[in-house]
Amino acid sequence: MKKIPVIGLVISAMVLSTVALFLYDPSLVYARFFEYTGMPAYQAAPNSKPKPEIPPAIICDEDYPEWRKAYTIGGVNIQASDACNPDNPYEVAAFVRGTNNVIMPVLMRTQLSDDAVIKTNDRDGDGDPDDIIIRIEVVELNGRSPDSSELVPGFEIAPGIKPGAWVFAPKSRGMSTVNRDDLNANHLLRLPSAPIRVEAGDNVTLILENTHYFPHTIHLHGVDHSFENNDGVPQTSEEMTMPGEQHIYKIKPRHAGTMLYHCHVQVQVHMMMGLQGFFIVEENKPNNWVQTFNVGAGKVRKPSVAVLEDYAQEYDLHYQAIDTDLSDMIQESNDVRQLAKSMNRLYDITDGTDDYFMLNGRSFPYTLRESLITVEPNQHTKLRILNGMPDTLSLHTHGHKATITAYDGVDVNPLAQITRDVYSVTAAQRIDLDLYTKDDGLHSYGAGMWLMHDHAERAITTDGMAPGGNVSQIVYRKYLNKDAMPSGQGVNLTPYFTPEYYNREIPSWTLSDAFGFFDDVGDRRIDNYKDVLLVIVLGALAAVLFLLLVAFYGFFRGIAIKLNSAGVNDE
Amino acid sequence: MNKFLLLLFLLFLTTTSQAGMRMGEWGMVMNENHDKLPQGCAEIAGEENITIKAGREYAKEFPGTIFGYSQHEFKFPKCTKVNVTFINEDDIRHQFMIHGLPTYLHSEGMFHMELYGRGETKGSFITPKTEETYLAHCDIAQHMEKGMKAQVLVGGGSGNLPSIPGITGQLNKDRYDLDTSISNLAIIAVLFLLGFVISIFLVIQRKK
Repeated sequence: MKKIPVIGLVISAMVLSTVALFLYDPSLVYARFFEYTGMPAYQAAPNSKPKPEIPPAIICDEDYPEWRKAYTIGGVNIQASDACNPDNPYEVAAFVRGTNNVIMPVLMRTQLSDDAVIKTNDRDGDGDPDDIIIRIEVVELNGRSPDSSELVPGFEIAPGIKPGAWVFAPKSRGMSTVNRDDLNANHLLRLPSAPIRVEAGDNVTLILENTHYFPHTIHLHGVDHSFENNDGVPQTSEEMTMPGEQHIYKIKPRHAGTMLYHCHVQVQVHMMMGLQGFFIVEENKPNNWVQTFNVGAGKVRKPSVAVLEDYAQEYDLHYQAIDTDLSDMIQESNDVRQLAKSMNRLYDITDGTDDYFMLNGRSFPYTLRESLITVEPNQHTKLRILNGMPDTLSLHTHGHKATITAYDGVDVNPLAQITRDVYSVTAAQRIDLDLYTKDDGLHSYGAGMWLMHDHAERAITTDGMAPGGNVSQIVYRKYLNKDAMPSGQGVNLTPYFTPEYYNREIPSWTLSDAFGFFDDVGDRRIDNYKDVLLVIVLGALAAVLFLLLVAFYGFFRGIAIKLNSAGVNDE
Repeated sequence: MNKFLLLLFLLFLTTTSQAGMRMGEWGMVMNENHDKLPQGCAEIAGEENITIKAGREYAKEFPGTIFGYSQHEFKFPKCTKVNVTFINEDDIRHQFMIHGLPTYLHSEGMFHMELYGRGETKGSFITPKTEETYLAHCDIAQHMEKGMKAQVLVGGGSGNLPSIPGITGQLNKDRYDLDTSISNLAIIAVLFLLGFVISIFLVIQRKK
């Protein structure tokens, strides 16, 4: 190749590059450029993107609002509930009386099997049954299907969020889904594992029927029980209960208090997948028919005799966290051998971080539908709190200082009881709280809608998006609207009820921000002469570089031809 | 009071038996049909007796599954009365549930047998006068997904359903790693070379 065009091309490339740099930002070429030429002209920042349409969202989705009122079914007095999604009162009645003692029309209005809770024999003659048989099944939520990508049976913890989970549930009957078209789980199959209540001194037969595809056990944490075949620990007390098998645990607890039950197989996986729940031993009292299961936790519609002596109402509050690295695993294969390997050997909890934080199986805003604590002034409410998370729960009640009356099911000496507004509950620990709504500037600051949440701030988010996590509220009843939702002077809650919000598609303050100060920024467009010139110059630069490449190719080709004719013989 | 309850109970029993439902501590059978003719059937053309066993025992044959039926495909002629004996061999609940049947005979199109534990029950239904394939499964959470799925072909059926153990494959497939043992790699290498050589050979032939 001739040398001059190559030199010309190189010089052109350098000149074009410099021009392009000047057009883009002259201060890159010379830092004090603008001191000599005067300041650059004003160029408006890109416009905001249009505000996204907030899809219509259902705030309260209940099919049976009539379940909120007080009922008397089969002689069982069932308290009213203020929740948008109240418990089925017929199921409550069946749990209190036993599925063997309610008439068929009541049982038919539940989805329980006939042998779910069997109550017989008043052995101490105090007006309530003392031989209790409780059957529990193990249920997977949001699992994989070999037929489609839809998760079955479905359970949303927050809008559009369906992590894989396992729960203990009362033995039921019929379909696990709502019906053949709606593949969401029926209302009995849900997070958290159902709280269980028995009376101290009862002969309790707890039967684990393992309907799941992995082995499981039940460990009765803190509940008085004998060791052999009863402790639920595969390394010591018993074999694991394999799929399709059952195991019978027999207990007669002497001590009353708030305890816990959980699976003790591969605890770092099985407990974190959701196989953990309240196990509450109530004090032995005359005519004390306790509500054996409190499905979904939350308000106890039929509190025990002892609780009603001191409190107007009672709530079970179960805090849990989910690491999606673990929960996603069951959605990645349908082959149980692959699942066993990934969960037991590939998942490493020491590298785990929790992504979702739930109160009673749901994250905000769904906590508003079923986990509000609704109160009247001057009322004592019993709160039982279980921390099922691997880290400490730092539970904070706005506007209230409640009194800790028990730790791990053991009463605190009344003289030593502590009243505070952040309750630290370590992993697997339970505390009982007396929430007293007396407006005295200490126990309560007066009526309102007061938040209640874990103050470890990651727990008020759903995978980092706030508001989410385990945020709920203590609501004075006058603040409830007809849909059983709290209504105050705060922001419109609708965006939080859309999956788009938690997909990070909606600016967080969009409905409060009429000026659009915080809308999403639009992208840059070619809209002035400098940008036009810059793109043309870049095009020219590309052409020059291309020509240089061609020149180099010709140069090397020339060398190759010379080499060939000198030494190598072509055909 | 108790008499009143008993009366209610009896009243209810009569109404439920009309709706084709039997229920007890053993389990339940729902939406049976012993004698009502499906549309288009002049008479019950025949009668067949089948026994279906359910349990983890029947999953052994199909790697990766946990629960199964003794048989995963059933073929019946049209307008035939089928007497099902359902046996549960596990100590947990299992179901045999057929979906999509005529809704004027079966509420929600469902014929449903359920046993709360180890045991046996019987129930009947009559096949319609259409060629169709019906889904039969256990609807306890993840039991169908982990193997308890079958198909019922009436009059030859209308094709196959997906992921029936031993019969059809998955639509949402599981992924498996490649076996990298010498023998498997050798087979792959031979097949690959075969394809390669055939192509080269064909090209040379064409040039000539």
